[in-house]
Amino acid sequence: MDIDDILASVDRGPGASPESAALDHQQLTRFWVAERAVSEVLPWPAPLMERVMDRVRIQIETIEDLAASSADTITNTTHNPNLNLRLSILQTDLARTQYIIRSLLRARLAKLTKYSMHYLVQLASRNKNPLSTASQSQSQSQSSSANPNTTPEDSVPDISALVDTAPLSGPETSFVHAHQTLLAGHYGGSFLGAFPRQLRRLDDNAGGTSMVQGPETKEVVFVRCLGAEVPVLVDGEEGVEEVGVVMRMGDVWVVRWEGVRRAWERGEVELL
Amino acid sequence: MAFPLPRGITASEIAFLAEMETVTIVPRQRLEGLELLGGPVEPLIPPRRAALPLWLALLLKRQRRANIMPPPWLHPDSLSLILEVESQHQDYKSAFSPPPPLPGQPSIRDQGLEPTARPQYTLDGNRYYAAPPFLPQNTAQTVVSSRDPPALPYHWVEVGNMLLDVASDDLVDPDQIRRLLKDLREVRMAKMRSGIDVLDDAAIGGGGVALTGVGSMELGEERGFLAGVVDGLRKIGASKEQARREQLAEQRANGGYDGTQDEEEEDYMEF
Repeated sequence: MDIDDILASVDRGPGASPESAALDHQQLTRFWVAERAVSEVLPWPAPLMERVMDRVRIQIETIEDLAASSADTITNTTHNPNLNLRLSILQTDLARTQYIIRSLLRARLAKLTKYSMHYLVQLASRNKNPLSTASQSQSQSQSSSANPNTTPEDSVPDISALVDTAPLSGPETSFVHAHQTLLAGHYGGSFLGAFPRQLRRLDDNAGGTSMVQGPETKEVVFVRCLGAEVPVLVDGEEGVEEVGVVMRMGDVWVVRWEGVRRAWERGEVELL
Repeated sequence: MAFPLPRGITASEIAFLAEMETVTIVPRQRLEGLELLGGPVEPLIPPRRAALPLWLALLLKRQRRANIMPPPWLHPDSLSLILEVESQHQDYKSAFSPPPPLPGQPSIRDQGLEPTARPQYTLDGNRYYAAPPFLPQNTAQTVVSSRDPPALPYHWVEVGNMLLDVASDDLVDPDQIRRLLKDLREVRMAKMRSGIDVLDDAAIGGGGVALTGVGSMELGEERGFLAGVVDGLRKIGASKEQARREQLAEQRANGGYDGTQDEEEEDYMEF
């Protein structure tokens, strides 16, 4: 940590300054582009989104106040000739920000509906202690063999007791659960109900192949290297990480997403 | 269907991003400073120059409330120089001309220097490195630094075309600029296509293909094709890659590493 870091950390105030609005806007834009570029759902930046939504709320109030005052002074237009211009600038700015937020949320929803089972299983498995995992798998095997009324809904993991919902936000988590429950009910009603009991589950992994499809992290993305040097990891997963090519500052590369995900989390690469 | 658009931002979204670039204007009327969601806007006092986001500059220009100072690269002289580098220079036969350096990155003239990234800090305490469109790459410079050769910024296609559309009377010889932009686009598009041969390197784990200097719109045009080709190559080579990984793991387990695998790691090349 050098002197710049210390100064920067002091400068980082409570966060209501206009400069912080600019920085948050840049982060939001970058996150939106990243979310649009990769196949998986990125970790939800809760503090950032809260600040942005607060600012949007305040800005809407400001615009309403201004519009009201312009209606009051309709007889006296010479009072402030720039009022309409200011209003239109503020509204354009607001619409641009709202567009980014909407596009971001919809892109996430699209991924969530596509891979809903994958994310539910991921959430459920991470938030479970070993004891309940054992009982769960036991109950799974029991339910598929003993319970004659097995429905596809049973294979939807229960996430009601969830505390940590990363990478999703709270509302996204409940959405994905409700979505998958409805979907499972529909499948059950339309065709799965006619199947033998042991074939009704939606998370079957018989034969070593899981039927739950997840996003493909080996797909390539376009990145710009922002750190001095960023190596591309051969395997983004656990274990020994081999290093592939090394990107240098300012370079634009086509690389696998899994190879640069860690660097993206550190903010050293930007998705394009 | 929550979201019908394909993965990766589309052309209109790229243009939307390019409108966040900062440009310099000379206002023709006063306007008090505004607190926008994208950051504060300085008060406009003619004839003092001001730096504004491009969308706001275009809005004011359309209403004849301001004139836009063209960025230094959007000038016939700069563009012909860049075109010459792109088409004639030996080093850039199959590579794009170098982009403007990021903050902390040494310019092309002093290649020996090490880059030192200068992070800012976000409100959450994370490091944040600024990048286009949030760098002043399209602002008019008061002091022309002769050291730095002109370079095409990341959003050159979009910014160039938008300024030609709306503010052509503020540009020097707009017809010539239009011609040069078109020539540049064709030269660079040909390079993009000729680079397809090396795409195989991006299909290997840890490999990659460099596209340094590429523009945002050029990337957007080729994104679907490049990603599709690399994805196809990856699927074809998946079993081979798996076999190689197992072989490597076996070697590591045996403790014997004879170095024969090294060439495979090194066979990337920039294009």
